[in-house]
Amino acid sequence: MGKIVFAGAMSHVLDPDYYQRACGDEGRRKTVECMTEIARMGERFTATRPDALIVVADDHLNAFSFNAVPALCVRIGRTVQRMKQDHAEAFDAVLDHMPEEYPLHEDLANQILAKGIDAGFDLAMSWEAPVDHAFLSPVNTMHGARPIPPLVPIWVNSFVAPQPTPKRCFDFGRHIARVVAAGPWKVGIIATGGLSHFPELSLPRVGETDTVFDRKLIHWMEAGEHEPLRNLGVDELHKTGEHEFLNWMVLLGAVTPARARVRYFGELPRINLAAVEWSLS
Amino acid sequence: MSRYAVNSLLYRLKKDPDFRARFEADARAALTGLDLTDAERAAFVARDMRKINELGGYLHLVMSVPGLAAH
Repeated sequence: MGKIVFAGAMSHVLDPDYYQRACGDEGRRKTVECMTEIARMGERFTATRPDALIVVADDHLNAFSFNAVPALCVRIGRTVQRMKQDHAEAFDAVLDHMPEEYPLHEDLANQILAKGIDAGFDLAMSWEAPVDHAFLSPVNTMHGARPIPPLVPIWVNSFVAPQPTPKRCFDFGRHIARVVAAGPWKVGIIATGGLSHFPELSLPRVGETDTVFDRKLIHWMEAGEHEPLRNLGVDELHKTGEHEFLNWMVLLGAVTPARARVRYFGELPRINLAAVEWSLS
Repeated sequence: MSRYAVNSLLYRLKKDPDFRARFEADARAALTGLDLTDAERAAFVARDMRKINELGGYLHLVMSVPGLAAH
């Protein structure tokens, strides 16, 4: 019988240089602190001897712009490539030094997809979409020089309205948990992005966060109170800069009612960095 | 509001280096024939990423087009 052996969520621009430019010395220091905790989370994940790692993240209008924008998409196939960007700037530049190709866990991805369709989730599928920093910055920070297990990348449309609801994301996470439980594999799951930044996706508001809202989310996650999280509205997430919490909602559905433990929370002007791990029985 | 036109143009500027070079050489000529409003066209010609964002350009694109990105 399969099992989710690790669950974690974390910010996904893990680049001290980026936050040095954006926020000065404090930006560098807090990014390094956050990355240190994420690396420790990765060591604990590796110690479980996992068969696969599900990565729930969002596309920053790189892979799906604008031929189609799936609400939820499962990456299938045997390998996935990192996004390539000439003269990469800002968050894209974090990818530059990373490996270009990663193995996928084909069987697990196919089962999440096929059983999901059977269960009423009209999932999109992709054999070709590349992954951007939202996937690879956390994965590489977790693993350092250690081998990365086969991945199952799953995209949530966090940015292009209309997005899927938090409730729908949570329910999809429940589906993932059922697939894992029915299979033979030991599986890790991470969700990436956040916490609050870029409210309303408005350029003049870059530099604002919503620490009160972040702490409210954290409180519910620590307490294992997932019903208030299911009832969040997409508009509420948009206004507070919590767009990427939709990714976290998938993870919460997969591990509910497990309680979260905050490994790092650091306030910066541009974003509140976070690393959270769930206590699994 | 032609949000699609604004964003598909941003995306092309990000992902197509040849088009980006043509835009950098002569923005107005590069935009010829595109379905943009006068305000959108003026914002691109002025390389005014704040205005482009205000007109519906997605933040992550206006922050990541090489050579044009707002930070």
